Parts: sequence; C-alpha cells; structure tokens
Amino acid sequence: MTEQTLNIPQILVFIVVTALAVRWYLSKPANAGTRPAAANRAAPRISPAQIDQVAQMFPQLDRRTIAWDLSRNGGNVAATTEKVLSGRVLETPPVSFQPPTPRAATPARTATPPVKPAQPDLITRYNLASKLGKPADPAPEEQPKPKAWSQDRNERQSNLQKRREEMILAARRKMEEKERAKASGAPA
Amino acid sequence: MTSSASKRLFKEYKGLSSDPPEGITAGPVTEDDMFLWEALIQGPEGTPFEGGVFPAELKFPKDYPLAPPKMKFLVDVWHPNVYPNGEVCISILHPPGDDPMHYEQASERWSPIQSVEKILISVMSMLAEPNDESPANVDAARMWREKRDEYERIVRGNVKKSLGL
Repeated sequence: MTEQTLNIPQILVFIVVTALAVRWYLSKPANAGTRPAAANRAAPRISPAQIDQVAQMFPQLDRRTIAWDLSRNGGNVAATTEKVLSGRVLETPPVSFQPPTPRAATPARTATPPVKPAQPDLITRYNLASKLGKPADPAPEEQPKPKAWSQDRNERQSNLQKRREEMILAARRKMEEKERAKASGAPA
Repeated sequence: MTSSASKRLFKEYKGLSSDPPEGITAGPVTEDDMFLWEALIQGPEGTPFEGGVFPAELKFPKDYPLAPPKMKFLVDVWHPNVYPNGEVCISILHPPGDDPMHYEQASERWSPIQSVEKILISVMSMLAEPNDESPANVDAARMWREKRDEYERIVRGNVKKSLGL
C-alpha cells in the first residue's frame, strides 16, 4: 500500500520533468539558431582596428556596443559612423556577445600559464632580496638564540619569520660558496 | 570539534618551535588560521636535494587529527612521490582506510598518534629515498629508475633555481 501512495507523486514528477525536457528540446534550435551562432559567426569578422576607428571618433561610446554594431553590419565602419551621426542609438549588445579584444594573443597566453606556473624562487617568495649579499650575522652561535616560544603572539610570529629567513639565507650562502669553490677549483 | 583541532595544532606548533627538529621550520602562516601552515624542509645531505630548502604548505582538515593534512610543495620538486602540482603522496598522509593498492602497512599510515613533526620527518626521508611502488610523478619515477644522472641533474637545477641562483 505504501508503495502505491509513493508512486503517484513519482509519476507526477516524471511527467513534469518529461514535459520540461521536451519543451527545452523543442525551443533549443530556435535559440541556438539566432543568438550565439550570430555572435560567434560575426565576431571574427570585425577587427579591433575597426572598433578603434569608431571609438576614436566617438569616445563616449562603449567599445562593446561599437563591436556589436560592427559585427551586425559586417564590419562596416562607415555605416556605424553614419548611424551614430544621424543620432540613432546603438543597440545594446547581448550578454553572450564577446567582442574581439585588442590583444589577439590573449586566448593563447591565458591558455599557457596554468600548464606550467613558474614558481617564484625563495628569495622572491620571502622578500629577501635586500638581505642578500650581506655576510652572515657575526658568530650566530654565540648570540643568544631568539627564544623560540614566546607568550606574545606577535613575537612568536616574528620569531618564526626570522627562523624561516635564516634557514633560506644560510642555504643560499652555502650554495654560493659551493659555486665559488667549484668555479675556482675547475681550472686547477 | 574545530576548537579541539586548533588546540591540538597550537600544541604541535609550540612543540615544533621550542624544540625544532634538525632542518625543519614549521608553523601557521598566521595564528588567525591554525589550519594553514607553511613548512620549510632542508634537503637531506648526501642526496641531490642537499643544500636546498623546500617550502611546503600544509592544509589541515577541520577534524584534525582524525584526518591527515594535505601537503603541497611550493617550489618545483622533481621526485617520484611528488605530483607535478607539488602535492606530496606518502603513506603517512593517507588515512588507514584509503589504500586501494594495499601496499602500505597500516602502521605507516595516518592516525591521530602521528603528528606534523612526523610528517615532515617522513617527507625529508622520502626526499632521500623515493618509494618506487606508488609513483605520483610517473616521469620522475622512470627517470629515477633508469637515468639516475639526469634525475639528479634536474633536482640540483631546481635547488639552485629555488635559491635564486
């Protein structure tokens, strides 16, 4: 019995979903035929130079609006100019419209960085450039070691920071020495 | 739950600061968020990683220490057990249930009795001795096995690059 009562809402839901799916399917070709296709097809035909041309004449106009009007008249700068001069308001572009960007290389460039993000080196990462080239702190062993754990939160934070920096700078100094030793040792 | 996790992390932070293990510096990026740490690990001596300092980020789950943190290197690390995006793949970072290959012993895996310090020490020894059975970076693993010279050259190159030389 319980199964029966459960089934009725299920059937109703099924019918509603089916109806929506059919409606969506039927309305799709009409939409797809006009808007996105038109935008996609038209966009490559106009060049950023054409948009610049119009934008220079009418700096008050939005570049996207200009691009949209150009893409609709096939990149005819004269026609767009005429339209603006005659006082007609240019149509607002649809949200899906992508005007060509002045830098044609943009898509290619945005595609490459995620593949291999260049990791900043430690000196850049921890802002140590200013501390390079200085000799090591005079006899670091003899200095009273900064207390590793402090009751003060800010002091703790700066101690940790200091330990990080020292670790990196020490490694860098050591590596530099090694390089120098290798360079001077090589000819011998 | 969250507060017991922060308390435990704070305790570990205190321990690591008062008595830091050789070649390791670790602590929260800021104490406002105890669940994100940054660690520096020194490359073990006698390995191509020698002389390097490797920063890594540790992200702790809200139910730490029941679940392990995730660890990710912030510089290029060419190593069989480090994914190309820097994520570290070793048994101590895996909870006991999560072992589809059954090659790891339960004792090596994460449990609440492990700690940040143990993770970092394990990662340090992982740098010295890659685990060839579960490569995270297949190319690095193959190179490590077949062309050790080339592998070491890349590692040394990365070390120098990371020190800005």
